[in-house]
Amino acid sequence: MSLTDWKAYKPVLIPNIKDYHKIDVYEKHGGYGALKKILADQDTLTPQHVTETVKNAGLRGRGGAGFNTGLKWSFMPKPDGGPRYIAANGDESEPGTFKDRVIFEFNPHTFIEGSIIAAYAMSITTVYVYIRGEYRSWIRMMEKAVSDAYERGYLGQNILKSGFSVDMVLHSGAGAYICGEESSLMESLEGKRGYPRVKPPFPAQKGLWGRPTTINNIESLANVPLIFNNGADWYKGTGAATHPGPLLYGISGHVNRPGVYEYPTGMLVTDLINEVAMGVRGGKRVKALIPGGSSTPPLRGDALDGVRMDSDSLRQAGSMLGTAGMCILDEDTDMVDYLWRVSHFYHHESCGQCTPCREGTGWLEKTLLKIKAGDGTMRDLDLLLDLCTQMEGRTICALADAAAWPVRYTITRFRDEFEARVKNTVYALS
Amino acid sequence: MAEIFIDNKRYEFEGQTKVLQFILDQGLELPFFCYHPSLSIPANCRQCYVEAGQPVLNRETGEYELDDNGERVIRFFPKLMTACSLDATDGMVIKTHVTSELVRRGQKDILEFILINHPLDCPICDQAGECPLQIQTYKYGPEGSRFEHKKVHKPKRIQLGPRVVLDAERCINCTRCVRFTEEISKSNQLTISQRGDHNYPITAPGTEFDDPYSINTVDICPVGALTSTDFRFKARVWEMSSTPSIDITNAKGCAVDIWTRDNLVMRITPRYNPHVNDYWMPDAGREAYKIYNENRISRPEMVVNKDSIKTSWNNALLTISEKLTGAETGKTLVFASAYASVEDNYAIQQFFARFANTTVIYVPDIKPGTGDDFLITDDQAPNSSGCKLLGINEVDADQAKGMIDSGTYETLVILQEDLVGRGIASTESLTQYFSVYLGTNNNSTSRSASVTIPITTAAEHFGSYVNVDGRIQRTLPAKETLYTDRRLDLQMSMGRLDHYGTRFDNWVSDNNKIDCIPAWEFLVRLSHEMNLEFRYNEAREIIDEIALKNSSFAGISYERMDRELGIALQDQPSKELNPA
Amino acid sequence: MQNFEFTKEELAKIDAIIARYPNPQPAVMPVLWMAQEKYGHVEPDVQKLVARTLNLPEAHVHGVATFYTQYYKERKGKYVLDVCTSFSCQACGGYETLHYLEDKLGIKAGETTPDGMFSIQSVECLGACGYAPMMQITNDVYVNHLTPEKLDKVIDDLKKDQLPEFESIPLVQNRTTAMENE
Repeated sequence: MSLTDWKAYKPVLIPNIKDYHKIDVYEKHGGYGALKKILADQDTLTPQHVTETVKNAGLRGRGGAGFNTGLKWSFMPKPDGGPRYIAANGDESEPGTFKDRVIFEFNPHTFIEGSIIAAYAMSITTVYVYIRGEYRSWIRMMEKAVSDAYERGYLGQNILKSGFSVDMVLHSGAGAYICGEESSLMESLEGKRGYPRVKPPFPAQKGLWGRPTTINNIESLANVPLIFNNGADWYKGTGAATHPGPLLYGISGHVNRPGVYEYPTGMLVTDLINEVAMGVRGGKRVKALIPGGSSTPPLRGDALDGVRMDSDSLRQAGSMLGTAGMCILDEDTDMVDYLWRVSHFYHHESCGQCTPCREGTGWLEKTLLKIKAGDGTMRDLDLLLDLCTQMEGRTICALADAAAWPVRYTITRFRDEFEARVKNTVYALS
Repeated sequence: MAEIFIDNKRYEFEGQTKVLQFILDQGLELPFFCYHPSLSIPANCRQCYVEAGQPVLNRETGEYELDDNGERVIRFFPKLMTACSLDATDGMVIKTHVTSELVRRGQKDILEFILINHPLDCPICDQAGECPLQIQTYKYGPEGSRFEHKKVHKPKRIQLGPRVVLDAERCINCTRCVRFTEEISKSNQLTISQRGDHNYPITAPGTEFDDPYSINTVDICPVGALTSTDFRFKARVWEMSSTPSIDITNAKGCAVDIWTRDNLVMRITPRYNPHVNDYWMPDAGREAYKIYNENRISRPEMVVNKDSIKTSWNNALLTISEKLTGAETGKTLVFASAYASVEDNYAIQQFFARFANTTVIYVPDIKPGTGDDFLITDDQAPNSSGCKLLGINEVDADQAKGMIDSGTYETLVILQEDLVGRGIASTESLTQYFSVYLGTNNNSTSRSASVTIPITTAAEHFGSYVNVDGRIQRTLPAKETLYTDRRLDLQMSMGRLDHYGTRFDNWVSDNNKIDCIPAWEFLVRLSHEMNLEFRYNEAREIIDEIALKNSSFAGISYERMDRELGIALQDQPSKELNPA
Repeated sequence: MQNFEFTKEELAKIDAIIARYPNPQPAVMPVLWMAQEKYGHVEPDVQKLVARTLNLPEAHVHGVATFYTQYYKERKGKYVLDVCTSFSCQACGGYETLHYLEDKLGIKAGETTPDGMFSIQSVECLGACGYAPMMQITNDVYVNHLTPEKLDKVIDDLKKDQLPEFESIPLVQNRTTAMENE
């Protein structure tokens, strides 16, 4: 479908069907059909073929980095008879993001089916599903769904008598944002402190327990059956050309109708704010849009025209698609307060393994707290930008970048507000 | 041979190597904290940044692509790379702080970050003077700090275990200590606790860090976060002299450095020897400083009218000479010792070879089950293998006891062995004999002997010891005796205080110099007294003679031992006595 | 002193958990969860129990327990009210909600009421950004769209040990259009 008639779009990832989370209903509407089709015709639909199909469909990871999912699968080495893993990433801890839980709640089986297809494509022996510990309610729903899938023979040994076997294990986190980072997630799954690993080696070479592993986001895997049910061409033609497919938009902040929506990628942010979310509360103006979770640089409200929710358009606009967890801040928002809170988050969540992040995130927060308290100086603004330079690209994982970007871009894009806050500070010369 | 360019200079390398290790192997410098050659590589301190690039290969020809000037086109990694975790590849180009402004900035930035929560208490910190953080801050760090906030507070003065104290605020989270307990000692007693800038290493609550190798974490801690309970606040690094030696508290013979100040041993630390102990040593070996410092026998002692009194060397020599001259053939029993050096054992063996029918034995001191498969041995003594290779008769404790109680002998000469302490002889049984004890420390044997001769410890003499694996290594004198002088003996080390102190300075005294001589030297003096042909001027002559005469020791020399970090003796220990 | 032990049934459950992984170490997180559900906390003695049960070094278990914020390393109130104040909630009154609760219960975030009923914590994003302000009760049920009135009721109910029910929030599109026939 084209992007002009988005109003006519009917959700396919989370279809509007009563009790769709139940395996009976899911099956009745063709659920597990893609899997059956593939397993019944393994000579034609070889693992390589499946991988190629996903690659050509153009599905890009929904976890934030936006890497081509099929291409990622193709990095797995040839099977050697030993165990191989998928770690499905349901850590969903990036502030502003609340979309994977919708899949757990309303369409768990499309995720399970997608995982099994992915497992088939990569000769996986076990799929570990890492779900953030706070999602206790949704973990229970997933337990039920997985157990139903086992019961129907979609999981376990000799699936649908195809000769293919794979297990699925749910693993609960316990409160650590860093475990959404793929190597940290693996450490956590191995029962350790969630410290990111040094790369290389990459997970496809040495992942869980030193074995080949692919980490995919929940929503990415949930998209996989859609590709096989509707064809790669359909998928490619949905939404933005370079970043296609249905997308779960989590809209929060100062809008009239926040929540999760499913539309194709590439929607105009103005449509999403003004029509989908029914505009800003109280008819106010948008001061800032955080397009894809707290780490994505905020865009100015007066620079949103023509910006679309796909990675190319957002890169041009000076931000990133991230998780498509959009937060709209209205004209009354105190950007210093906002930025301090974001920095507080990264300070709290830095694992502390490597120096620039462990020390830098705290320094950023403390400096912003000082500015917020009215004790900041112009020098502090320059210091903050300097600290960002000292953190970006200098750490084992990307958390330091995620902490630095909002600081860098909030200060540069809303500098007037910060300057106004520090200008009248009276301070002793030191 | 693969090539790598570091700061525009070409080097060759073979096989797999990490860039940092390669740089260090070339004798070049690159600052780092968390890396340790014997531990896994977490790359967490981020101090060893370099710029790294690889030459671009033409896909068709397989040749390097060249630019207009005929130079290779180098594609640099977009980010600074940690050299510790970076594999060297053929043609790689590395820029360190020597040639890269970006690297200089990166190194400075890391030090600025590390220091914001580090207490700047160097003046009261034990690590000062040998602190990688202090040294590297001076060389690569920022001049001031832009941090104007409260530092994070963490636990201080935590007694982690009996031997290690933690100051968590000084910790820079390099995780070397945790990795040591996980990968080397395998006690798994330490972990990093908390998260983010509240991180610090600690034991599980209510448990002790009593790992028998715990003090190694103090050695590898790159800051003053972990300090030794025993050594804390005892001496500043720059006041001490360090002397290479070996651990004499068990049969492994870990390579160590002995640190002295005013002729007291202040601490003992491991010295790298890949053939024996790598970078490590057991905690127990560090306690040997007590043997060197405390309860020493100084000046000969004699029993006169049942009282032990100090006497002159001449008097002691005369007394022993008279007794030995008058002794009946076959009535003298000589104890050599696995606690004494090869030189001393050889000397006593050779000296008594001049007396017909004299029995020379040694009694190994093995306590089964006390060792591990790492650096602690069941064998409590440093030189059992040496005694064996010298062909000295080995008897066990019961046999030795039987010999003493048999009434066969009238004279006992005991080198170093605490016969009473080990239960081989009793005070009463010793009183039946004319007994000579050549020992280092006061003990129940020294108190029971007719004549006690003070001899040097491993910290005071040149001596060789053969470890449990048949490796011969040597010690150098770290402490002066009354008869040695580090200003005259060029083989002894000199620290700042030794160099610049005079005997009029209040930190210099003669109090800690023991009135003792090496056992072999005593035997030489005794032979003078008895007109025997038995002459050595220095320990080196003895080892050279052993090398010539005993095939097990063929080809050894002090120089080789120094150069090769000890020598593996090839021959199996032989029981055969070598004629003098 | 309290004696911390797993029952036979619990140990069988732990064996089943261990069987899901190639070695016992990964079971440390699920078993810490089990222990916390049983005792309400994972104080050092409970950490020891987990280490003993899984035959892991105590230090390792301690390191893991202190890394993850949802494990209570000290005793908390019967109901722990985790109020999200992360930036989406902050924008929509997260702090006002937190302060309302603080005033109502007479304690500050991070504290527990003297009767041991309630603890309040200010926590990071819980993934309910569209339903702000919100909170989670004792690592379990989410309560969304908080208002002073709603909070009053939740507290009153909790005092009677009545937990709020799970609130299912479908896609907005699916809420606003008629459900397709199944």
